[in-house]
Amino acid sequence: MMLDVKEIETWYGAIQALKGISLDVNQGEIVSLLGANGAGKSTTIKTITGLLAPAKGRIEFMGQVITGKEPEDIAEIGIACVPEGRRIFPGLTVLDNLMLGATPRKNAPQADIQKDLGRVYEIFPQLKESRKRLGWTLSGGQQQMLAIGRGLMSGSKLLLLDEPSLGLAPVLVQEVFRVIKEINGMGTTILLVEQNARMALLITHRGFVLETGKVMLTDTAANLLSNEEMKAHYLGAHAHVKEARQRRRSERGRV
Amino acid sequence: MTTRLNRLLVPAVLVVAVLILPRLVTSNYWMNLINLSISLAVACLGLNIVLGYAGQLSLAQAAFWGVGAYTSAILTTQFGLPVWAGMFAAFFVAAFFGILLGIPTLKLSGHYLAMATIGFGIILQLILVNAIWLTKGSDGITQIPSPWIGSFELKAPGDFYYVAAVSLILFTWGAIHLKDSRVGRALMAIRENEMAAGTAGVDTTYYKILAFTLSAGYAGFGGWLFAHSCSHYISPDTFSFEQSVIMLVMAVLGGNGSAIGSIVGATLLTLLPEMLRFLKDSYMMFYAAGIVAIMIFMPSGIAGLVKSMPVSLRLRAWWNAGSTAARQVASAAAARENSGGKPNAFSIEDCTGSGEVLLSVKGLAKHFGGLKAVDGVDMEVRRGEIQALIGPNGSGKTTILNMLSGLYVPTSGEIALDGAVVTGQKPHVITAHGVARTFQNIRLFGELTVLDNVLIGQHSRSKAGLVASIFRPGSQRTEEAALRLKALEALEFVGLRGKEFAEAKSLPYGRQRVLELARALVSDPKLLLLDEPAAGLNAAETEALVELLFQIRDRGITILLVEHDMSLVMNVSDHITVLNFGKKIAEGSADEVEHNQEVIDAYLGMEVATEVSNDA
Amino acid sequence: MDWSTNLQMIAAGLAMGSIYALVALGFVLIFNAVNVVNFAQGEFAMVPAFVTVWLMSSLNIPFALTCVIAVIFMGVFGIVFQRIAYYPLRHRSFLPVVISTIGVGIFLKNGAQIIFGAEPLSMPRPTSATALKMLGVFVDPQYVVVILCTLALLGFQYFFFEKTMLGKKMLATAQDKEMARLLGIPVAKMIAITFAYSSILGAAAGILVGPIFFVTKDMGAMLGLKAFCSAILGGFGSVPGAIMGGIFLGVIEVFASYYISSAYRDAFAFIILILVLLLRPQGFFGEKIAEKA
Repeated sequence: MMLDVKEIETWYGAIQALKGISLDVNQGEIVSLLGANGAGKSTTIKTITGLLAPAKGRIEFMGQVITGKEPEDIAEIGIACVPEGRRIFPGLTVLDNLMLGATPRKNAPQADIQKDLGRVYEIFPQLKESRKRLGWTLSGGQQQMLAIGRGLMSGSKLLLLDEPSLGLAPVLVQEVFRVIKEINGMGTTILLVEQNARMALLITHRGFVLETGKVMLTDTAANLLSNEEMKAHYLGAHAHVKEARQRRRSERGRV
Repeated sequence: MTTRLNRLLVPAVLVVAVLILPRLVTSNYWMNLINLSISLAVACLGLNIVLGYAGQLSLAQAAFWGVGAYTSAILTTQFGLPVWAGMFAAFFVAAFFGILLGIPTLKLSGHYLAMATIGFGIILQLILVNAIWLTKGSDGITQIPSPWIGSFELKAPGDFYYVAAVSLILFTWGAIHLKDSRVGRALMAIRENEMAAGTAGVDTTYYKILAFTLSAGYAGFGGWLFAHSCSHYISPDTFSFEQSVIMLVMAVLGGNGSAIGSIVGATLLTLLPEMLRFLKDSYMMFYAAGIVAIMIFMPSGIAGLVKSMPVSLRLRAWWNAGSTAARQVASAAAARENSGGKPNAFSIEDCTGSGEVLLSVKGLAKHFGGLKAVDGVDMEVRRGEIQALIGPNGSGKTTILNMLSGLYVPTSGEIALDGAVVTGQKPHVITAHGVARTFQNIRLFGELTVLDNVLIGQHSRSKAGLVASIFRPGSQRTEEAALRLKALEALEFVGLRGKEFAEAKSLPYGRQRVLELARALVSDPKLLLLDEPAAGLNAAETEALVELLFQIRDRGITILLVEHDMSLVMNVSDHITVLNFGKKIAEGSADEVEHNQEVIDAYLGMEVATEVSNDA
Repeated sequence: MDWSTNLQMIAAGLAMGSIYALVALGFVLIFNAVNVVNFAQGEFAMVPAFVTVWLMSSLNIPFALTCVIAVIFMGVFGIVFQRIAYYPLRHRSFLPVVISTIGVGIFLKNGAQIIFGAEPLSMPRPTSATALKMLGVFVDPQYVVVILCTLALLGFQYFFFEKTMLGKKMLATAQDKEMARLLGIPVAKMIAITFAYSSILGAAAGILVGPIFFVTKDMGAMLGLKAFCSAILGGFGSVPGAIMGGIFLGVIEVFASYYISSAYRDAFAFIILILVLLLRPQGFFGEKIAEKA
């Protein structure tokens, strides 16, 4: 097991965003974190990367406890994050952004870093072409590629991807997911947060479905894809909700 | 037990003490200092209004102080007008300059506002230095006369003191009355959350200008006190940016928002340098170090420090228990007990929901540069229904809500409420038409009490202006009592009874949400806009919210809500509109929408080509 | 229209503008990094000016060495300043921080008065006092030095931010602090370095402007305020904006005070400020910021 998250509870001020989340990611997998908006997916990522400190619970990465550590330290330990909204540095060039991704690799020889840069350029030829352009001039899709490439430059074993398809046109979404699969094939373990459940599940090995701060469902991707309950968690079509609706209608004398 | 008499007794004692003081001080030197303190204190009271109440950082207060001083000095020395005429002129001319500053700086806040006020103040000072024909420039104006009462000249500092002291008492009384009034609440709402103030019905433009005007008037009066006492000499050097900074420090030291605090701050920082004369040159360094230390360790100033002391907590509890508000709350609670705990009928107009169109939206669009957040949406909300507006992230739901409540001006399209076209109107105007809203991120007036939050919600349904707020004629007191009664009923309705005097930000999250709801309800809305009302609520709280929404609907209020919690939406809505990428993709009843393929795709993700899965 | 007078005024305007630009740059870098407006920025120029005068006049240290010492001193100063005035208040709203930086400014001003006395001091000129003849016009050589040094400093800064990894990390921290942390960039260190560099810019401004005017405890106040105007003019938060704004303001001031009114010389900066805030608050290069509902 590479990443082991046990019963974390995280608070945003007075609101409890995570009410005991447990999940695990094994080496070489793509694991998806799914759920409707507001379910707690991004909060989970922020807790793992150290931007938020959990009130309770424990996170272990490759046997090392990382709960409550600072993000700078967690980056050095080997977890890279491509956060929601890409967040590339708009005033820096593509090349700068990529090279900054290698910041945690303090002792690595330049040759290795250059080799990884070459690999990123292979995966994303567009980035090589536009390496001298400033970040803000790139399109949404290009920025997403840059953010992922920057994440790869860290040489990290585990890559967290938060909503990589958000705001992208369908064609680009397909491209993004193809790339994620390719990266995984090259040896990077991936924890993927996605609202677009169907596309995510097509490349995922296992998935966790979150709802209001708890893990409601976890299974292999294939099982989740055919699971009617998944739809319920997204569209509020649970049986008990339907019952309540019927009850109310009859109480209020409506058709 | 506090009686009305006790509450009158305390200020009476204070007033007498203040008037007797000069008999105790024999030295003219100290008397002059006291007069100086009072003149600064009045200016600080003014700063407290614009900064403490309304939250607008003004670093030009010394310039207004100077305008008042110079206006009266010029009128009395060059034109021979009586000093009392100069007093009125000082107040009103300074107030006029306050309007001059308030209007151009309306859209500014924070650092930009601070810089603009600094610039304004420096320009005013430069005018004082250079308009020699009027102000005698750097030489200053000498031999400024003292005021006369009948045939008695108030030349001695101990005699002038009475004028200063009485003025101080009156201006403080005005400031204190202002704080606990409709106008004062509007100012504090702007300070706490300008956006929410607007949608609660407060005309933020008018009140910001009012704050600057009043505060400048106060400073002008303080300048009048300064010119006609002490050395009877003024020169432009005194009215500098540094002096504005000193006034700011006095106000903040005393405690931002506290009238008495401003007086304490002004007095301390005027008298202290005299008592610390032995420090000589290093006095200012201690002063400056003290400022930094106060900001780090005592940010709420002396008033904040005093407030948190246990002795003062008990005193304030005793004092507050006798206030009109507290007595009204207590008697309302007693009435409820006696009538067997039944809630009063909540007085929202009962419109019989006849199903006709209340809100009509045609071709609504909002473009942010190249981004089409909302791209031509038509929708209708019928009277008496609960409609939900749903859609994935970024589909334009909140943007539509913002256009409906006046926070955004639509790029194109039309919005009509009950026949009246309200497209592009300002938030407070739309609220007056009968639209109220709550916010996704809860925008309460955090430092104000629960009761005050709800009272502000009634701003558009009440009338008391500046004069009424300060002088409190019978009509104003009647209005306040009626506002309180309605507020209490609203709090009862949402289940916040007993929490009237708690600070809004101290409430647990779920209670804050219903408080925002209460604030929206008291504006007598025809249409209630709710932006993710269930966000952050647990299952029990969501159930309670559902009940509340039905009760609100039963009282004739139409509801349009934006929500992500699909169970809530399915349970509550009579009609659902679904958006995606800024366009409407479906609408209908819960059952219809749930089985609509386009809606399912929008939420769960598109059907995907086989290429990706083939790479497995 | 007297050509030679105008040319002289352009030289003077560019020189003063360069000073404003340096101080404005200091403002903007700190603001970008930590969202704080440092009302003591003018004193960041006043303090090293006094230190320079003292080192040269009282200790007879040669100019070049004095500059080095002053720069190192201000670098340390910046880090200490950040620890005292900013760090304890970093999570608070902007009013406490504004007042705190104002307080430090007053502290420094009066500290300077106590240490160095209230009399204006004269900074020994590194250049000769005889006017240079350039383009057929007599120009104070100190102006030339100011402009050249500023260009050199800006050139160095450009190189630092464009070509070194440390520079990139600082830019990244200013553009997106959270993301920088996620990449492993030590954000607290970057902030300290920003304050140190901003103070060094102040040192440059103070040493360069010292010989032109007298060195007084009040020189920082107006300098700081006008530099702030320059930054807003150029677009608060924009580095090229701060530079353009400073130069623009310097030149306008000189011409306006000659052709319109010299008594109101100080007012022009603020009149322009108010006009900019009214008509185009984002300045030339800045971006509009709106609050999200």
